Amino acid sequence: VMVNLRRFTGCAVREFTFVVRKPGCRGAHITTDACWGRCETWEKPTLEPPFLDSFQRVCTYNRSRVVTVTLPNCDANVDDRYSYVRALSCACGTCDITTTECVTSP
Amino acid sequence: YEGLTPGCHLHPFNVTVHSDRRSTCRGTQLVFACVGYCESSAFPSRYSVLIASNFTHNITSASRCCTISKEAKVKVRLDCPRGRHHDDVQILTARACHCDMCRKSRY
Repeated sequence: VMVNLRRFTGCAVREFTFVVRKPGCRGAHITTDACWGRCETWEKPTLEPPFLDSFQRVCTYNRSRVVTVTLPNCDANVDDRYSYVRALSCACGTCDITTTECVTSP
Repeated sequence: YEGLTPGCHLHPFNVTVHSDRRSTCRGTQLVFACVGYCESSAFPSRYSVLIASNFTHNITSASRCCTISKEAKVKVRLDCPRGRHHDDVQILTARACHCDMCRKSRY
């Protein structure tokens, strides 16, 4: 199904490629499923303190699975296994600081 | 409000101010909020993030949220019965919006 990403709203699983940089191993490209989208957020004035009310949700993992791969070309004394999380489903939600590094996108 | 449109836009709504609980004097003013759909994504954290978080932060969420970038104060005139008077009440309104840091979506 073709989706126009410029007009897309909501939160969906999207292919994502990254380079693993683990000390003692050569960089390895990994393609997996991650999350991308646009969630509804708002900020509005209110009559009572603090005079602003907001609603903030971000597109993040809903269900996920840990995938472990073996990295090629690692030094002999280095653990060549690498684990990462693959998204099975995504949803607009809060950023859980216990499991997630929450940053502002550039 | 035009619905599901990407971006972060001014959205008008009416605010009604009451002088007291019996609503002796009251006034209604059109003000603006910022409402929209800003981009966000979540993906496997880099190895440096895994190390720094002792392998607890295995997801990185990079996001922006629709927030007020410029605001202004507006005066609301209150109408009272039988010639009584009530001072104007100041309220905030958004003047401009942008997709910026999500300060309140972290738990």
